[in-house]
Order: sequence, then structure tokens, then C-alpha cells
Amino acid sequence: MSAILQARELVSGYGDVRILHAVDLSVAEGGITAVLGSNGAGKTTLFRTLAGLLAAGAGHIEFCGSPIETLPSHVRVERGVVLVPEGRLVFPDMSVEENLRIGSVNARARSKCSKTLSTVYDLFPRLDERRSQAAGTLSGGEQQMLALGRGLMALPKVLLLDEPTLGLAPTMAKQIFEIIPNLVELGLSILIAEQDVHRTLQCAQFGYVLENGKVAVSGTGPELMQTPAVSEAFLGH
Amino acid sequence: MDILFSPQLLFSALVLGALYALIALGLNLVYGTMRLLNIAHGDLVMIGAYAAFWLFTLTGISPLIGLPVIAVLTAGVGVALYSVLFRGQLEGTQSVAQLEANSLLLFFGISVVLQNVMALAFTASPRAYRHLDDVYHVAGVAMTGNRVATLLIAVLVLAGVVIFLKSTIYGLAVTALIQSRDAAKVVGINVSQVQVGSFALGFGVAGIAGALISMAEQISPFMGFPFTIAAFVVIILGGLGNIAGGIIAGVLLGFIEIYAVALTSATYRSILLYGIFVGVLLIRPQGLFGKTRGG
Ligand SMILES: Nc1ncnc2c1ncn2[C@@H]1O[C@H](COP(=O)(O)OP(=O)(O)OP(=O)(O)O)[C@@H](O)[C@H]1O
Ligand SMILES: [Mg+2]
Repeated sequence: MSAILQARELVSGYGDVRILHAVDLSVAEGGITAVLGSNGAGKTTLFRTLAGLLAAGAGHIEFCGSPIETLPSHVRVERGVVLVPEGRLVFPDMSVEENLRIGSVNARARSKCSKTLSTVYDLFPRLDERRSQAAGTLSGGEQQMLALGRGLMALPKVLLLDEPTLGLAPTMAKQIFEIIPNLVELGLSILIAEQDVHRTLQCAQFGYVLENGKVAVSGTGPELMQTPAVSEAFLGH
Repeated sequence: MDILFSPQLLFSALVLGALYALIALGLNLVYGTMRLLNIAHGDLVMIGAYAAFWLFTLTGISPLIGLPVIAVLTAGVGVALYSVLFRGQLEGTQSVAQLEANSLLLFFGISVVLQNVMALAFTASPRAYRHLDDVYHVAGVAMTGNRVATLLIAVLVLAGVVIFLKSTIYGLAVTALIQSRDAAKVVGINVSQVQVGSFALGFGVAGIAGALISMAEQISPFMGFPFTIAAFVVIILGGLGNIAGGIIAGVLLGFIEIYAVALTSATYRSILLYGIFVGVLLIRPQGLFGKTRGG
């Protein structure tokens, strides 16, 4: 499989503080790629840099073969690189439907907004029932669905999912994991950061383990399950 | 106590309230989307008033006809200020507190410059013109044509802006940026486009307010400051960045001012305005209707 999104020697951080040190990573086209790492490893920093919310200090980001590291975030969204951020970041005082509609603000998605909206409501009937409710009053799980649905409204080619099950009850988390393969069938490529290593490696074809802002190990799901770095850090107690 | 039920007072309060709501709208948009404190906002009202004055005295064209041109003129001032001074401020990674403080200083400077340039160009003496000042009597209320027009146009513009914000994707983008800059970038909003649009819309509306005011009041280069204060009172009352709250608060302030002055004396007008300002800051700094979002 070829790479749709690629980071090469990517460096990023906050002010003078470097967090990512030369990260190399590929997101396979039409596949699920996982980023694992303990708290503070730099997963969110990586995702925000890929989405253009944080400027890359050095290195390159390539999307569909062309460099995007200097493009502002809205242009990356329009090209198809879409982040579903950690902590959801829904617009609290806007209704569920307004949150979804603003998801297709980019020029490519705008004209198809109504059609995408019904697809998203089919995927998340819960959101359909709550169209006019203020997003801030949704439960955590519903907000996560909304964040995911809002990401889909942008008609992404690559979806960057930063801990989509964080803080969710097990049944809710299970639902999210059941939806992810459906997204791939819709033609999306996915990069996912997760704490639930078992589930993540079950659905991902390839994974990277991030440690202190560097890729420590990478490999297929079964390979990573075997590596001491993963089994000790995440699976063994 | 009879005066409290006078339709005349009610009419005056509505006119003043609608104007306050109109003026505060622009201040709220610029603060809400960018956290810039525009202490020069009233001076845009002044520029709109002068534009209307000269349009009328030189060409005889009614300010009502000229409103679109006047709005474009003050919107242009907004776009120019954004491009030259504030785009850079906003792009540098600064904290909200830093942005607020820097913008306050910058706008203070802009205010001084605008007032003095206008005073140099057109003298500091107050000016006025007569336009649509025939008095009509309707249901016991004596109203001049220009005040009726002011009320109608202010309500139309307010309604137009609210509908724009609520039901177009551009308006939704403005609301989104007010609620969360980070999330606005996540969903792919072109933030700098929304920012320049907010300057244009906010300043354009201020210009319209100035043109309307000039039909009924004396104008001078220094007329803007009380409007700046009134607009700050309104947006703090209504909740910073809360557009609908600001409109309600604008009308409310119009009522408070008209009725309080009627009950006491016009000499207390500015004391009242500053008193409410300080009072609200002390008692309910989050406003009556709550902020749309913190920093
Ligand atoms: N805004 C910020 N300013 C300064 N440092 C930050 C900022 N955000 C994160 N960091 C630091 O960057 C490092 C990496 O954080 P990051 O959020 O990328 O980790 P993460 O892998 O996503 O962790 P988690 O699993 O807890 O979400 C941490 O040491 C964190 O303290
Ligand atoms: Mg994180």
C-alpha cells in the first residue's frame, strides 16, 4: 500500500521547547495506522502538527505527494487532512446540527453539505435525535460522536483521530471502534492515537510507538504485540 | 410617575437603544473573534457622521440614500487597520491578555489620531444639518422623520446581521471563531478571512450608526468617546462576544438612560453611564447573559 500522508524528520514543539525530534511516519492509503505512546509521548503534538495547528520547526509533511508543512490549517482541511482533536473541541453554544454544518465549511465539502449530513446522521442516529441541542450539553460520548461526525462533514481523505475513546464508558468506546472500519470502507485512510493498545492493534495494519517525541519501534499489529517495548509498557503489568 | 408611561419616552428609549445595540455590535464582533479591545470604536461612528454631513451639505444627497457608501467607507477603514496593524499582532503567538493590552494601546493611539485629524480638517466646532426633521404625531408621540428612519434602519440592520450570523455558513464561521479559535482552525475555517470580515462588518455598521445619529444630533470630532463607553457597557452587560446578548443589552441601556434622565436631569447622563459601567464590572463582570467563551 502506498502512503497518503507522510512525515519525514518532523520536528515540532511549543515555543523553544522541542517535543517531536525527527519523527518519520507513513499513513497507508485506505488503511488504519496506529500511534501508540504513554502520556506525554508527543502523540497530540504530532497530530496537531500534521493538521497545521502547530508549525513544524523542521522536516517535511507530504500529502498525496505534495508538501503541506507550510500550508495553513484551513488549506490542509480543504485538501482532505482532517483532525478529530483530543478533548473533542466541539462548539459548546452551537447546536449539534450547526456543529456539523460548520464541519463542511471548506469549499470542497460545502456544496455537498446536506448529503454528507444525512450520511453522518445515518452513522450516528444519536446525533440525529439531538439536532437542535446545544453541543455543550451533550454527554462525553455524544460529544465524541459529534467531533467524529464533524470531522466527516469535511469530506476527509485522511482522518487523524486523537484518542477518540478518551474518557468514554466501555460500551461507548466499543461503538467507536466498531465505526472505524466502516470509515475505511467509505474510502478514508486513518491515523489513530489510542490508549487501548489491544483494540487498536487489532484493527490497525501498522503501528508506531512514540517515546519522548521519537519513534521507538514500528511494525505490524502482531509484530508490535510481540515487541518488549509494547508488551512491557502497555500490556504487561 | 406618569412620565414613566409616556409613549414619548418609550419611543426615545427605543431609538437610543437600537442605536446602542447597533454600535455595540461591531465592538462585540471585533472583541469576540479576535480579543481586540477597540477603544476607537466610537470614532468610527464619528467618521460615519462626518461622511453623512458632507455628503448632505455638498451634494444634497440624503444620508439614508448614502448609507451603503458610508458603510463601505468605514468598513474600508477597518480593513486597512486590520491589514496594517492587527494582522501581525494576531499572527504573533501571544496570550489573550497580551492581545487585549496591546490592542487597547494601539486603538487608543488610533482614536487620538482620528479625532485630531478630523479636528484639523474640519475644525473642532460642532456641526449640524437639517434633514427629515418634520414632526409627526402618532398615538400621542411627537416624532421627527429622521428618528423614525433611524429606528427602522437600525432594526433592519440588526435583524440582517443576526440572520446572516445564524443562517449562513459565513455567519456560522464567525460564531464558531467567537466560541473557539482552536476548534475553528480544526474544522477548516479560514480564520484570517473571518477576522478581516469582522472588522469590515463591525466598522461598516458603526459608520451606519454615525450617519443615522448625524441626522438628529450635533456632530464633532470628539463625539465618539461617549459612544465607545456606551458600547463597552453594552457588551459587558450582554456578555463579551455574545452577539444576541449585546443587542438586548443595547436596548436595555437605551431604556435605562432615557428613563433615568427623565426622572432626574440630563446633567446626570454621563455619571449614569460610567456608573453603570463600573457597577456592572464590580457586580457581574461576566455580564447578564454570560460570556460566550473565556480566553
Ligand atoms: N501547550 C503546550 N505548551 C508546552 N508544552 C506542552 C503543551 N502541550 C503539550 N506540551 C508538552 O508536550 C509533551 C507532549 O505532549 P502531548 O500532548 O503531545 O502528549 P500525548 O502523547 O498526546 O499525551 P496524552 O496521552 O496524555 O494525550 C508533554 O511533555 C507536554 O507537557
Ligand atoms: Mg494526547
